[in-house]
Amino acid sequence: MNTPLSIPEIEERLHSCAGWEAKSRMLVQLSRELPAYPETDRTEENRVSGCESQVWLKLGWNNGALELATDSDSRIIKGLLALVYAAYRGRSPEAVRDFDFDGWLAGMGLTRLLTASRSNGLKAIVTHIRSSASEI
Amino acid sequence: MTDSRPPAPMRNEFPLLARNPGLIYLDNAATTQKPACVLDAEREFYETANANVHRASHRLAVAATGAFESARATVAHFLNATTPNEVVFTRGTTEAINLVARSWGQASLRPGDEIVLTELEHHANIVPWQFVAQATCATIRAARIARDGTLDMEHFHSLLSPRTRLVGCTLASNAIGTMPPIAEIVAAAHAHGARVLVDAAQAVAHQPVDVQALGADFCVFSGHKVYGPTGIGALWAREDILQAMPPWQGGGEMIDRVSFAGSTFAPAPARFEAGTPPIAQAVGLAAALEWLIQQDRAALLAHENALRIRLENGLKHMPGVQIVGPNTDKAPLTALRFAHAHPFDVAQFLDNHDIAVRVGQHCAQPLLQALGESSLLRVSFAAYNTEDEIDRFLAALEETLELLA
Ligand SMILES: Cc1ncc(COP(=O)(O)O)c(C=O)c1O
Repeated sequence: MNTPLSIPEIEERLHSCAGWEAKSRMLVQLSRELPAYPETDRTEENRVSGCESQVWLKLGWNNGALELATDSDSRIIKGLLALVYAAYRGRSPEAVRDFDFDGWLAGMGLTRLLTASRSNGLKAIVTHIRSSASEI
Repeated sequence: MTDSRPPAPMRNEFPLLARNPGLIYLDNAATTQKPACVLDAEREFYETANANVHRASHRLAVAATGAFESARATVAHFLNATTPNEVVFTRGTTEAINLVARSWGQASLRPGDEIVLTELEHHANIVPWQFVAQATCATIRAARIARDGTLDMEHFHSLLSPRTRLVGCTLASNAIGTMPPIAEIVAAAHAHGARVLVDAAQAVAHQPVDVQALGADFCVFSGHKVYGPTGIGALWAREDILQAMPPWQGGGEMIDRVSFAGSTFAPAPARFEAGTPPIAQAVGLAAALEWLIQQDRAALLAHENALRIRLENGLKHMPGVQIVGPNTDKAPLTALRFAHAHPFDVAQFLDNHDIAVRVGQHCAQPLLQALGESSLLRVSFAAYNTEDEIDRFLAALEETLELLA
């Protein structure tokens, strides 16, 4: 059994989903597995603007590893945020910079959601995480 | 129960719908699908009459100019304008409002003048006025909505004063469907000496818009929301007002004489149509309007309203679903909020059933703020929708809400 919300585990689960309905349901399921977002971090500063749904993101670096908490009031967006979490949490700045998030989602057949997510801040979040890795 | 099946198997007249038999297209307030006659008209124009307009005098140029001007006459007839000279072709509603704000607004507004809008407006009927208000030191005031999404007429009347120079109001809210009492609004604005701009973008596909009966000074719409092509729309303005307005964009077609010392301008509407216009799109728009004029419009509207009521009745007993906006005097659309689900998620699952709806703020952020909503799901109808589609929508929604609960 893989650790929850790891890259291989998510790949396995999404690959087992045939079709959009199953993939969407899986994202809703994944949204329930994302660690709870700390209420004290639900601040204006941590709110990602320009999203159709409300999205929160808090980043930090601990001993060269990315710490990350994130949340959304949309289940699908939150499911996608679970993928962001799995992809980036605990990684080094180099690993964050090198990871091809769009390619990973495309590989799991989620391109359609990636297009839709443009208006939902996922792109902005990934850009923000990557620029944080470049600044450290 | 009224029979709300469309008079003919209309879906087959729309190539996109015919090619997508499973598609339930309920995003008609964003843009409508196009009947084959519109696509044919554009193609026919390119194949038989394509040339630039108002320039050369060769045979094709004469044919192109004739087709373009006859499209203008069709728009004039569709709106019951007194003359085609009152019709300016634009890219759509947005450009038409920008034209009025820039041309009429810059020339007419003085510091301290007031523009009265409503909280129901689309951003297209807000932002151009903000630009001109900033440039002229005029002020914008917004008439409030009541809790039920109707316009607060008491507040509207209280905003009117001798300082009011323009009232801008939509015939129907694109986000929640409210149709404000436009006759009362026009009469009150005129009693205060103000001009009135009516945004007919959400009305033209559903109800006849008669500019003479409306009595307004400006009326605007987009072709793509009335079964026509994108990239074309129109401004109608009363002839005396239009002839007195200065040009807003410079270029070819709109001039009388040009020298480097200065230029003189053509009379309206040419004065407002700088550069090569969207000729084939104008021809397509005329085909769409002719198609609509040939329909039994009262029957189509009754059909669309029956679909809306069928939907709203079906939603009444669905837990966690709330209809936002009024339930009478509204365009054929329904806005929804959900107690336990995000509209975005609901729309994603509906999309898996090949049901197209729109979610978000619908380019009406002041309205959503006034309603205290951050996002709504909108179901909007057109003539080709069917009762069966509503029933399938209701079933898919029920399943989705259970899944997201
Ligand atoms: C009421 C209303 N006004 C203006 C517009 C803007 O129209 P367009 O984008 O075609 O210029 C829309 C379109 O959504 C609308 O619904």
